[in-house]
Amino acid sequence: MVSRRGFLKGGGLALFGVGLIGGIPGFIAEAAAREKITRLYKKKKILVCIFQRGAMDGLMAVSPFTDTYFQAARPSLFMQHDALTDLDGRFGLHPALAPFLPVFQDKRLAIVHGIGSPNNTRSHFDAQDYMESGTPFDKGTPSGWLNRAVGLLGHDGLTPFSAVSLTSAMPRCLYGDNPALAIGNLQDFAIQMRGNPAATNLAAKSFEDLYDQTAAGLLKSTGQESFEAMKMLQKTDTRNYKPSGNAVYPNSALGNSLKQIAQLIKMDVGLEIAFTECSGWDTHFGQGTTQGVFARSATDLASAIMAFWTDLDAFQDDVTVMTMTEFGRTVHQNGTGGTDHGRASCNFILGNDVEGGMVHGDVKPLAQENLEDGRDLQVTTDFRSVFSNVADAHLSIAGDSVLFPGWTGDKAKVMQIFS
Amino acid sequence: MAAGVPREKHVRFPYKQAGLTEARAAAHLIGRFTFGATPGQVDEVCKEGLERWFTRQLDAREPDDSLDAMLSGYDALNLSNDSTLHVFLRRDQLVRMAKKEGVIPSDSAALSDPNAYKDILESYRKEKGVKLPQELYRQFYNQKVLRAAFSNNQLLEVMTDFWFNHFNVSVTKGDCAIYIPAYERDVVRPNALGKFSDLLLATAKSPAMLYYLDNFNSRGGGINENYAREVMELHTLGVDGGYTQSDVTQAARVLTGWTVYPIGPGREDNPQARKLDAMSPEQLSTRGFYRRGDFFFNPGRHDKDEKTVLGKTFGPDATNTPMEGYQEGVDLLEMLAHHPSTAHFICRKLAVRFVSDDPPASLINKMAKTFLDKDGDIRQVLLTMVSAPEFWSPGAVREKIKSPFELAISSVRSLHASVDQPQQLYNWVSRMGEKLYSYQAPTGFPDKGQYWINTGSLLNRMNFGLAMASGRIPGIHFDLIALNDHHEPESAQAALVTYSRLLMPERQTDETVKRLTPMLNDPALGDKVATASGEDKPGQSNAGMLPQVVGIILGSPEFQRR
Repeated sequence: MVSRRGFLKGGGLALFGVGLIGGIPGFIAEAAAREKITRLYKKKKILVCIFQRGAMDGLMAVSPFTDTYFQAARPSLFMQHDALTDLDGRFGLHPALAPFLPVFQDKRLAIVHGIGSPNNTRSHFDAQDYMESGTPFDKGTPSGWLNRAVGLLGHDGLTPFSAVSLTSAMPRCLYGDNPALAIGNLQDFAIQMRGNPAATNLAAKSFEDLYDQTAAGLLKSTGQESFEAMKMLQKTDTRNYKPSGNAVYPNSALGNSLKQIAQLIKMDVGLEIAFTECSGWDTHFGQGTTQGVFARSATDLASAIMAFWTDLDAFQDDVTVMTMTEFGRTVHQNGTGGTDHGRASCNFILGNDVEGGMVHGDVKPLAQENLEDGRDLQVTTDFRSVFSNVADAHLSIAGDSVLFPGWTGDKAKVMQIFS
Repeated sequence: MAAGVPREKHVRFPYKQAGLTEARAAAHLIGRFTFGATPGQVDEVCKEGLERWFTRQLDAREPDDSLDAMLSGYDALNLSNDSTLHVFLRRDQLVRMAKKEGVIPSDSAALSDPNAYKDILESYRKEKGVKLPQELYRQFYNQKVLRAAFSNNQLLEVMTDFWFNHFNVSVTKGDCAIYIPAYERDVVRPNALGKFSDLLLATAKSPAMLYYLDNFNSRGGGINENYAREVMELHTLGVDGGYTQSDVTQAARVLTGWTVYPIGPGREDNPQARKLDAMSPEQLSTRGFYRRGDFFFNPGRHDKDEKTVLGKTFGPDATNTPMEGYQEGVDLLEMLAHHPSTAHFICRKLAVRFVSDDPPASLINKMAKTFLDKDGDIRQVLLTMVSAPEFWSPGAVREKIKSPFELAISSVRSLHASVDQPQQLYNWVSRMGEKLYSYQAPTGFPDKGQYWINTGSLLNRMNFGLAMASGRIPGIHFDLIALNDHHEPESAQAALVTYSRLLMPERQTDETVKRLTPMLNDPALGDKVATASGEDKPGQSNAGMLPQVVGIILGSPEFQRR
């Protein structure tokens, strides 16, 4: 028989290191108590997903620079060998993504090229919707794949922070019946009356009392959790957070979101699935090469992710970061120095249990006959095969028929196989 | 409209049997079929009689002069889809137009200076007299707030909200967004209290739905199943309604050719549109085209072979029978609208909205029987619901959690507030988890307390109450003292007692008062609050405490319920 104290100490929720002793929020204690005994010595893992909205040009991010068809298709957008970082003799990393290089060389970063959806829609809305619901041919799926993942975590001990989206509105991928929280900014997690601390205290105390005594079960339990979570966040100085390892986050929406995700991870509040997003990838006009719209978005992406990774420090083992984008862009550049909506793109997966240091997937020479509909990079890897591989390997989620209903394909092999 | 309205003398609501006083029953009725009680409304409804008030709301012909005056400046909301498309252009559409007219060179080199580019585009936009779609949406969102807060036809607005969510379309989908204001105005609201089959057919033919679920693009040999699937799964039969994948595919084939007539700018350059515009109605119909408003049936895109949906055969189309293809789709939708699975699915959803998150089967069966007996007459179904004991049972009263929108609007109504900046409420409602018109999935917002209440949204609800009561939401004005007949409460405790009753009529507030009184009676605390609020009368801090007390009431658990 494991004593409660020993249980907490040994369990997935280590409550030390953030000064919480003596003030353990009830929901964390309860979550720990509800943990199945089998997971006692298994540390919680965290999957961080980043949606690059607008459809990233995967061929510019990770460029098949030896492909003469590609060079011909992009008179002003093709980037020569010397402008890129050669990854494997065939693909070159865009210079704005250079911060990724050390983790790629260190085999912690994997790239999957030719990834996309089996549904060939080129509508941002539809393609994002399908990628987030995880059902590429069914609009009416009420839940999102990440929310279903919460239900498959295999333990009961969920906290209000088990699944968090650092966005103001709940993203489609987290729609559903399992608990998920969307919050634009952790500092908003408080009772707020500007410039009036006495009134704020009174209001907070009053609300806490009222919600504590209400007969309405849902309002009572959520109210208790809200106040516990609020107090916990207040204990940690989220405003003056100092990242580890001198990590410098870009002052961008993505940088700020990832910084807050790092804080939640370090606070050990039960986070297992985190989501955020970035924009600026819909490069129809003046896409640029080493400079320009694409380069700016790519710089933000790479520097934010790498700041996050540095900041995680000792927590790196627990975390996998995965990017996704709804589709890729045309192989040929258009008349306005940009690219239009295409099919396959690439994505990035970062973590210590990733099969890194290589470009996975199948990219054929970009000759006309190899292009989908005669214009686009073919989708050779179904996004579900990668997402399910990552979820399975990192979060120990089994249950592909629930995660991706109707999908019967083979999992990708972007994660290391070990137990 | 009036023909279908039942007369109140045939109606009796069984609330006394459920142990409710008339006043408490009135509060329950108002809480469910309006966006919140206004001061004194419970007494008014009691005086008029609950049955009479409800049938008058079903009739939905109350004069709305003051609301109309508020909306008079909202010029964009009266436009046809065609005019809307001409007046409101997205940036990329403007760029295309500017290029066509040579205002912007079409080669990429000239685009190097983004600021110059922006200036050219902006002056071109002004010269053309076109506006950005944001202005359309601003007016549209604002009218939603104003109608909910101030319409005298509250039930009509509640039902419009319900059906919009049932037949959800989303401004997050670019192609469909611009048609959404007209969708609510012309499709949803006029049918919200009519026959379900009319509503279903109107949504099926609307540009907003045709674009949102992609049927506009579905053709024989190249079908898109999205609409056909969702019309069965979400709009009519329900997911367990007894249809198969084959039914979905075949229904999609039946609905091929249902699309949108070419409207908006650029029509001059569209040869098909020019040809169609030149045809007389007779010519259109002899060729099998069918046009009503913006809806267009194009026989050339219709799959004319035999199809079978739920055992019923459609086609093959006889040659030279104009509009047979169109009629197939109408027949299909009529069949779905009158299906027993549909009756149960729709009635359950209504009961979830108006009774409880888990309504009893006995109630749904009664409602579904009326639905089937009365040709899907929505008024009759609502009346059956309210005439059933289940509506008044302890399992129903106060059991629904307000959505963020309902919370915000009920606060406005209970405080008798004026709203000069409706977008401020729209923003708060978004922050509390309900970004209006932006729910991405065709399911619409889930209508259950568990969806609305989570740790983040709950704190935002409390903050909303505090911000609202302390007058910190710009453009929202009210007079707390006037609400209490210009009597200033003598103490914080008195304020709590008085305003709990005013804002939450017929609710049991004793426990709230008991719980908060010791805290509020701490004089030192009151002074601190007042001082920090900028009140310069320490020792007489009631004025400073009043907004605080009201804020706590609006953020309290009891006020979250309806």
